[in-house]
Amino acid sequence: MVTSERKVRVLVAKVGLDGHDVGARVVARGLLDAGMEVIYTGLRRTPEQVVRAALEEDVDVIGISILSGAHLTLLPRLRQLLGEAGAEDIGLIAGGVIPQEDIDPLKDAGVSAVFLSGTPVPDIAHYILEHYGNRP
Amino acid sequence: MNEHFKGRPGDPAITSLSEAAKAWHEHRYSAEVAQKGEQRAFMSDIGIEIAPLYTPLDLINDGHAYLEDIGFPGQYPYTRGDRAGMFRTESFVVSAYSGFGEAADCNQRFRTLVGWGAEQLLVALDLPTQCGYDSDHEMSTGEVGQVGVAIDSLADLEALFDGIDLASIKRVGTLGNSIGPIVLAMFAALGERRGLKSDQYTVNLQNDPLKEYIARGTQILPAEAAARLAADCVAWCVEHAPNWSPMTVCMNHINAGGAGSSRAAAIALANAMHYLDLLLEQGYNIDQVAPLLHMFPDERHDFFVSIANLRALRRAWAKLMKERYGATLSDAMALRMTVYGHGQEALQEPLNNIVRIAYGTLAYVLGGASYVYIASYDEAVSTPTEQSVKVALRTQQILANEHGFIDTIDPMGGSYFVETLTNQIEHQIQGALKEIEEAGGALAVITTGLGRRWMTEGAVRRQRALDTGGRPWVTVNKWPQQPNVPNTAFRIDSQTAQKQMQRIADIKARRDPARVKAALAAIDQACRDGSNMVPPTIEAVKAHATVGEICERWKHHFGTFEPSTDF
Repeated sequence: MVTSERKVRVLVAKVGLDGHDVGARVVARGLLDAGMEVIYTGLRRTPEQVVRAALEEDVDVIGISILSGAHLTLLPRLRQLLGEAGAEDIGLIAGGVIPQEDIDPLKDAGVSAVFLSGTPVPDIAHYILEHYGNRP
Repeated sequence: MNEHFKGRPGDPAITSLSEAAKAWHEHRYSAEVAQKGEQRAFMSDIGIEIAPLYTPLDLINDGHAYLEDIGFPGQYPYTRGDRAGMFRTESFVVSAYSGFGEAADCNQRFRTLVGWGAEQLLVALDLPTQCGYDSDHEMSTGEVGQVGVAIDSLADLEALFDGIDLASIKRVGTLGNSIGPIVLAMFAALGERRGLKSDQYTVNLQNDPLKEYIARGTQILPAEAAARLAADCVAWCVEHAPNWSPMTVCMNHINAGGAGSSRAAAIALANAMHYLDLLLEQGYNIDQVAPLLHMFPDERHDFFVSIANLRALRRAWAKLMKERYGATLSDAMALRMTVYGHGQEALQEPLNNIVRIAYGTLAYVLGGASYVYIASYDEAVSTPTEQSVKVALRTQQILANEHGFIDTIDPMGGSYFVETLTNQIEHQIQGALKEIEEAGGALAVITTGLGRRWMTEGAVRRQRALDTGGRPWVTVNKWPQQPNVPNTAFRIDSQTAQKQMQRIADIKARRDPARVKAALAAIDQACRDGSNMVPPTIEAVKAHATVGEICERWKHHFGTFEPSTDF
């Protein structure tokens, strides 16, 4: 088995005006504990700022925390910007309070997984390692 | 455990009680535990271990004295209540926090709430408004009307309260933590346009910007400037509307974010002291300004801790006002509290949240809170539906009227357990407050990262307690169910943003541009010379300057906050 020395790099981000970032910080800490390299954007970022940070930090996956209800606007926008930047390979996952009926449209828009509030952090870490853990 | 059973040497009654307690613990309780084991560790969220039994010994060991430490309702140190009559003379105020979409739609909800018996309306503002952006700003994309109602100008607030008699409800207001002078000015202008004097209605604001930097995240300006604007609101009310409550210093988001209720209380007290110090520097005395400050405690994990937290906070506030600030008026020493009833709400089977919230709220009622809001059972999911808001309001009415909950004052007073907890929590609050003061006070909590450190530590500890099952949570880690945000989640009208942008355009076309320009110039002047921000803001909102336009002036002079990337 070949294992890469490179750790999975994750950008945990808050987009829009939602200021509740405890969930984002707890997940960030949990992913760090699970052996990943984690960068947190801080509050109130535009999709453009998040994509720029993702490129600069050369991350494997972006984890967006969103509780304000603006997910159907902001998440597809992020995926679109990643595409425009030629960074289709950067994963996009989301967590927060997201109604069931919005999950399929988000997946269609390129959000690969949605974790609802209350999901154990190890479950999120497991998903990331499984899907983004073997990239060169 | 043994420290609970020490007696005062030489007192025969205490010695025999101490021996009896020791015997019970060793021969009866421990014997049963040896056989059956304890179900789990009984650790409260604030890190105080809960003993199997409390007796008079716990209070004796604490040097507890009834008159000094507990006393009577409405008398120093106010442990048993801020007023003598408490809920026997006036029940806690049944309040509703509500807002969504555009003002005209939300107005219907407000009328419905008043019809159901809501005695106070607190406007939930959308995030653009709270963060000082107009609905047509780029940062508002996707957020207009989402978590509250969009208020861009006075015209929106007027539409929101159309047909609602401000004088017949007990209080109206909003949070407006980062835009205090604007929302205060809007409510003042709203009353003025209806021909009401300030003593004919009561405005309540949260207007506590400092906690936004630690926990809630709607900050706009650097913290020092924001605190000054908040204090200006209190100063203006001292002069023009002393019956209003223009500041409610909050611990709820700080606790919910992980700090725990005792540390959250200490941070909130430090924030309150910062605002008070600014007012004293302006020449006000403590008896003038302290009565206008209320506090907003929060404890949603442990029922008895919650009751004790409110009692301890009243006592801590009274001591602080009397001993440190030299307050002499009862109104300055007696802390009035607003609460927002929560339990540990889950996304799984949300109807169960009705029960959790009712118990969480009952603790606040037993603790003696004056103004009670309550979460709706679907609030963890979305903006509450009309149905869930109705259940929430009725829950409060049931607590105020049925089961005899309010029949006697401070019914938990004298409980060995609750009095012990009250003492322990007061010690925790005082200890944390000392740490904050040693770090440099309220602003240092923000700048040194102390607040965020306390919150992250606690949040991680809570998450682990859930992940490992150390803290049981029905449907989450016991009898676990899949989380589900149902499709019935409340949705705002999809045209809201567009309609709101049209309203801004209409207002800007109709208003007098010269008057707006002059009003904004007066705001510039107040930014420069440090004079009270409220009077020029009242003129600006009356001229229909928008929230965004006023905040732009502030940002121009004071700069903006820097978001922390620590976690």
